[in-house]
Amino acid sequence: MAKVSDIVLWDKPGERVLLLGNQAIARGALEANIAVYAAYPGTPSSELTDTMAIVSKKAGVYMEYSTNEKVAFETALSAAWSGLRAMTAMKHVGLNVAADTFMSAVGMGVEGGFVIMVADDPSMWSSQNEQDTRVYAKFANVPVLEPISPHEAKEMTKYAFELSEKFKHFVILRTTTRTSHARGDVVLGELPEEIKQGKKKFGKFKKDSSRFVDVPSNARRFHPQILEKIEKIREELNNCPFNWIEGKEDAKVGIIAPGLSYAYVKEALAWLGIEDVKILKLGTPFPVPYGLLEKFFDGLERVLIVEELEPVVEEQVKTWAFDKKLNIEIKGKELVPRIYEMTTRRAVTAIAKFLGLKTPINFEELDKKYEKVKPLLPPRPPSLCPACPHRNSFYAIKKATGGKAVYPSDIGCYTLGLLPPLKTVDTTVAMGASIGIAHGLSIAQNGSLSEEQQSPEKQVVVATIGDSTFYHTGLPALANAIYNRSNVLIVVLDNLVTAMTGDQPNPSTGQTPHGMGKRIPIEDVAKAMGADFVAVVDPYDIKATYETVKKALEVEGVSVIVSRQVCALHRIGQMRRRGEKWPIYYVNEDKCTGCRICINAYGCPAIYWDEEKRQARVEPTMCWGCGGCAQVCPFGAFEPMKEGEQ
Amino acid sequence: MKEYNIVITGVGGQGVLTAANILGWAALHAGYKVRLGEVHGMSQRFGSVISYVRFGEDVYGSMVPEGKADVMLSFEPVEALRYVNYLKEGGMIVVNTKPIVPVQVSMGMASYPSLKEIRKVFEKDFKAKWIGFNAEELAEQAGHVVTTNTVLIGALTQIPEFPLDAEHVREVIKISVPPKAVDMNMKAFDLGIKAAKEILEL
Ligand code: SF4
Ligand code: SF4
Repeated sequence: MAKVSDIVLWDKPGERVLLLGNQAIARGALEANIAVYAAYPGTPSSELTDTMAIVSKKAGVYMEYSTNEKVAFETALSAAWSGLRAMTAMKHVGLNVAADTFMSAVGMGVEGGFVIMVADDPSMWSSQNEQDTRVYAKFANVPVLEPISPHEAKEMTKYAFELSEKFKHFVILRTTTRTSHARGDVVLGELPEEIKQGKKKFGKFKKDSSRFVDVPSNARRFHPQILEKIEKIREELNNCPFNWIEGKEDAKVGIIAPGLSYAYVKEALAWLGIEDVKILKLGTPFPVPYGLLEKFFDGLERVLIVEELEPVVEEQVKTWAFDKKLNIEIKGKELVPRIYEMTTRRAVTAIAKFLGLKTPINFEELDKKYEKVKPLLPPRPPSLCPACPHRNSFYAIKKATGGKAVYPSDIGCYTLGLLPPLKTVDTTVAMGASIGIAHGLSIAQNGSLSEEQQSPEKQVVVATIGDSTFYHTGLPALANAIYNRSNVLIVVLDNLVTAMTGDQPNPSTGQTPHGMGKRIPIEDVAKAMGADFVAVVDPYDIKATYETVKKALEVEGVSVIVSRQVCALHRIGQMRRRGEKWPIYYVNEDKCTGCRICINAYGCPAIYWDEEKRQARVEPTMCWGCGGCAQVCPFGAFEPMKEGEQ
Repeated sequence: MKEYNIVITGVGGQGVLTAANILGWAALHAGYKVRLGEVHGMSQRFGSVISYVRFGEDVYGSMVPEGKADVMLSFEPVEALRYVNYLKEGGMIVVNTKPIVPVQVSMGMASYPSLKEIRKVFEKDFKAKWIGFNAEELAEQAGHVVTTNTVLIGALTQIPEFPLDAEHVREVIKISVPPKAVDMNMKAFDLGIKAAKEILEL
């Protein structure tokens, strides 16, 4: 098991390796001789960016963690305008952030290949909504490629660059959680000489204001051009190596399987033991190539489209068939759910129903059996790590506000503050939205300090936001709140990394993958913007944090507290790697009265309840030694173990 | 072999992904087509996790369908129970019996079932063969709790008709742990093998 960073750079064409879908895409980009890569991390896309961060220096590729997806998009796009091959990656909701530039610049096209990797998250394993990027692709008239395996993801990445360059158009490479986070066997291809030697590539931007300035007169010219391009691409995709027809040639029944659904369909058919079908495997759900449809439909009487989420392919196929006046039964979303991710079970069930067969397993019976198990299961939602500094911040905020404030929060680990016992998250909407929502809530309930009349009853509003999120889209919202004079406290939970997506750096970290960025302290920004109160605290000191929150609540206007302590997971990971030890706490049985405050108000996952002794206990393998419990316990029952006892 | 399906369950942070990766590489070295499915992000923070290991000649998706896992490897008893519906009839469960109590249980908002109850569901309702033991204890014997992972994988290689050779798996572990930790992990692997053998012989 070699290190992934080595594998991705291995000069061993033909070697079979096991790679995560996202890592395979990184390899594909290198095989395609990429020059510039920029992205903001977001699950399930992050590992692509992280892999590029690790290999970029050796490969001579410029790579950055941008502050948000729009900025990343613009960075990569400019490189593509300069004739270089460039890529950006984001999760589906990230495309909403980048959408403004995406939709406006598509008509300008590119010079070098430009690939936008978007990772969708059907079933929302770690996302705030379920959206289908293929709809965006169709909206913008940009072709979208969707791989079925890590190996195909790598190959498709190369193809995407070529397609983009050939038509001077954007190309979306769309994955879902199940390709981005699937590991599979990948056969390595050739690396270009420049990548092998780590030779940096530079581009040249040729000025052309009739192309790169989207004044209406130009934009009017762009739109018909885009439509023309996409039809040409539709034509081209008839020969795309990722689209094919397979199965029984003279079958009466056909199944269309776009993207990863192909894998589920194949498995379902094998499971059902059905061979008498024709399959159209579609690697390009938009635009669907009509020539291929023509060939596929020949001789068919019934067709089922097994497609995850939105009926993107279904609508194209049905429209095409209608125009052709085809008298063929076409079924899709009638049998295949439109919400949540595709599974083999769903594919089997839909196909069985379509063909009037029984499923190989009686799923209803299995569900019934499982229903009886459910009441036995205690919930185990994700929780803030042991020693997570956010827990202390929330604890202090709750104490200082008596739990009576409204608590808008944001996207990050700290969203987990919504769970008991902390319960200090009332809203989360989108990246950076906590500050905007806090401002709006305060305006609606209290009025603005710039107005003469204010509400006689003051509603306290305390927003929480992470460091990375603050720089992502918190900045303009902060400027707005200060300018329009609402009365809010904003606590920036600054753990100096983008923790939730895997410890990526951001302006508050200061470090970049190249080592030498420039750190921007959040308090400096808040002061420069004119916040009415600015303070920095260490949340590991709970009392000081509590007192600072109290003080900030006295101030009218926008207060910003930067609650700074490095992410515990990050810190422990580094200590482990260095072979360092950390203190482990235990409960002194003589002192613990069984009040449960450590559990019911604080909730470190390393602390559990000993039913027999009716006392709290610390699970030593989970304690990361922050000492928070010792500060919270009114009886001083938590003590650090002495060296040697551990 | 057409396909072999393993599901691995546990609590985020226990090393579920690492275990899946080790088995995946062992299967790759054995010449199989391999697919692993896993969970990242939010769900990893001490939440419940499941990951899938599939290999053989005919594997496509990365998720094992319900009712189709040949074996379940579980790092925690309740997390085994949570995904019992993935096991095929007559499948096997290799489980670390040391519980990790969720915060919700400590808070008195939920209760934790007894090991006996959990085992009964597997054996009676799902007709599975139960190979349960305290792997953490054995890991401590080997040198450190972090080798719990290795103990369990060792045990897994002993189940009847397991398609991967124990020695192949051992080789992958050897090169995937830090050089300092090799001996400890080899000891853990052997302790796992021994524990499974003893249970299987009963
Ligand atoms: S990863 Fe860091 S920020 Fe996230 S919960 Fe763990 S300690 Fe807290
Ligand atoms: S010191 Fe206390 S609060 Fe901190 S991780 Fe250990 S048990 Fe949890």
